[in-house]
Amino acid sequence: MSDVDLVEAVKVLRDEVLDTVEHGDREPPGAEVFDAILSALQIGGESIPGLDLNLHDAVARRLAWGDSEESVLADAESVFDRLIIASERSLPDPPDRMVVVEAATQVAVTVARVVSLAAVARATRDRAARLREEMAQKQLEAVLEKQRSSIVRMELETEP
Amino acid sequence: MTQTASQHGIRVAGDTNVGKVRETNEDSMIVDPVRGLYVVLDGMGGANAGDVASQTARDAIREYVMQYRTTTDPRTLIEAAIQHASATVFNAAQQARERHGMGTTVVGCIVVDEKRAVVAHVGDSRAYLLRNGRVQMLTRDHTIVEELVDKGLLSAEEAERHPYKNVLSRNLGAKPETRVDVTDVELRPGDRLMLCSDGLYGYASAEAIQYLLGSGDAPEHVARDLIDLALRGGGGDNVTTIVIEAPQPPPSSTEVVRTTGAMQWWQRRSRFLQIAKDRGLTKNPIVRGLDPEEALELIASSLCQAVFHDLEKSTGVNVWTFAQNIAGGWFERSGEWAPLRALMDILATAARAVVDDIGVADPKLGFLLSIAVSRALVVGELAIGGLLAERLNRVDANLIKVHAAMQETVDTAQETALEDTGDRFIDNPTVPFLRPDRPVTSPGVSAELIKAIEQTITIARSRTSQRAELVKQILSSLETIAIDATGNFASAVLAAREIYGVRPVDDTGIMPLFDALDQARIITAASVHQITAPDAMRAKVLRALSSAHQRLVGATTGLVLEAVAPYSERLREVQAKTSEMRDQVAKFERKRADLERKYATTIDHSQPWEKRGTTEW
Repeated sequence: MSDVDLVEAVKVLRDEVLDTVEHGDREPPGAEVFDAILSALQIGGESIPGLDLNLHDAVARRLAWGDSEESVLADAESVFDRLIIASERSLPDPPDRMVVVEAATQVAVTVARVVSLAAVARATRDRAARLREEMAQKQLEAVLEKQRSSIVRMELETEP
Repeated sequence: MTQTASQHGIRVAGDTNVGKVRETNEDSMIVDPVRGLYVVLDGMGGANAGDVASQTARDAIREYVMQYRTTTDPRTLIEAAIQHASATVFNAAQQARERHGMGTTVVGCIVVDEKRAVVAHVGDSRAYLLRNGRVQMLTRDHTIVEELVDKGLLSAEEAERHPYKNVLSRNLGAKPETRVDVTDVELRPGDRLMLCSDGLYGYASAEAIQYLLGSGDAPEHVARDLIDLALRGGGGDNVTTIVIEAPQPPPSSTEVVRTTGAMQWWQRRSRFLQIAKDRGLTKNPIVRGLDPEEALELIASSLCQAVFHDLEKSTGVNVWTFAQNIAGGWFERSGEWAPLRALMDILATAARAVVDDIGVADPKLGFLLSIAVSRALVVGELAIGGLLAERLNRVDANLIKVHAAMQETVDTAQETALEDTGDRFIDNPTVPFLRPDRPVTSPGVSAELIKAIEQTITIARSRTSQRAELVKQILSSLETIAIDATGNFASAVLAAREIYGVRPVDDTGIMPLFDALDQARIITAASVHQITAPDAMRAKVLRALSSAHQRLVGATTGLVLEAVAPYSERLREVQAKTSEMRDQVAKFERKRADLERKYATTIDHSQPWEKRGTTEW
């Protein structure tokens, strides 16, 4: 590996990878993925899968704000593709490129894991909500039945 | 109005509400834990006499019990108190013309001790007993229809439709004396008694009442929720309920560890981290390059959290995963055994110190925790032992040859499958976010690159545990996708479907999938460094395999999203139906209110109240 500071070398690719010009002052889509890749490069080596809490938080925040799972994944995919192309051009030393590719792949898997678990959690919540709705429907059916019989009886009794 | 109390471990709560239709609350209740007296009364009779009747009876019962409770046995006491109340209400009704015909139902209970209670009732207020999750009714309504059923003159079905099914055959106040039904109840730990007026069971289903009573929530929450339930069901009458809970059985050792033990452990988290730091965790070679705080967070804090979750759930899953991840990552980097052993010893020492601290404050809890925490750490050691065994297996060079031979067969089969499927996934992608316009990132696949990819995957397979079938399957898929440089997504989607297989849509189904994908990624990255090729070629191999990996992960996640989609759709359908039903209930309620107003004008007030028909709908 060369003496290049990889974190700095990748940092300068931010504008190109995230296409920041296109998005003006707003946080460009996929910024959380790029930051996670920088963080992975900073730590170096393998971390425990899924322990990047910042990435977890950032993805969860995007989902909570209404971004779809598909858009989060598509952004991660886009950052991965662009970073691979950009690092190929800007890092002449193959071992340096390999470190960047490893970090990017690690982050891509983590994003997919977080999104999948969020989707599964949503499914669990939906399942529980459906059960509650069905229980409420049972109660409403009983009430409707009671109301129906009351109305019939009252109509009979109030007839002149 | 909510009243809560507890005495001798018996927890009680009572709540009452005027409802959504009536203007006055004619229900009354007594919640008196000192004398163990709990009563619900439902007054009736026009011109505000209902509330007078129920309050008069309430005061009479309370006074009688206070006066005679030390000299009379509970069964006789409650029966006599209710008789006394009946006479009192009757006399009060005679003294004022506008109160003629007023009366009240009653259901009361004297809790003698935590093992015995006596329930008595007159009218259609009820008592229920919840035991082992099942609800049984302790009282039988005193209505004319119910008595006709008892005499065999009406069937249960006819009774349900009978216009006078709510007309009472007995109450307090109609005569100076009344017949009181008294029942002895043997209480068991965790039993719940519930007393209520007809405003509850008339507007809530039996299933919903059973669900709330058996929910395990505190009595005050159950009482409040029962009232809410009746209000949501229409709230057409005053509603009152009292929930009495017999003392819970003493918690088992497992429950103590799960609750108090886990909490005590977590509260000493900073102490655990401090000891781990003092013992030199941050200087261990495994965390070299990490900031000390970060090392503590990644290793010690993760173990502390894993032990906490395992204590909470009485499992060893979290510590097992923790140990596998730490040891697996270290071994993949060709780490030595000694630093890992030292790291585990430091963590065990810190854990023992924390458990000792807890033991000083509470010796019994300390003893239970020492067993539970030791078991968790042994599980961690077992996980590492498994990895070591796998490492030894890898030494067997023959394994490489066996895998290579097997793979040749698999490759041929996969090539045939791909030829059959063609490009159909490009035109109609089944995975939502896989964009067909995605640029092809592969730099092109030369014969030399294909050879290097094959070599990498062969080494990766040899490094994979024999039992890790899913990881081996992923490695084969990576090879197929990486060699396919046409930009075709078919290979990724096909492979993802193969890997996804059939699995439950929950954490236990999805997590192993991503664990295997992560493991395959780590093994592949390590294997690239072992092939005989120049650095530039290695970089190309890693790029091709990583791109393949990323596509495979994307396609797999797409399948997860496909699998969860029906849950949201079904929920929306059910919600729409509930909304329609609510509209219907509101419509009927309006119609019923109109009819009730119309009917009220036809009541003949000169008749005794029993003969006026009934306003109890």
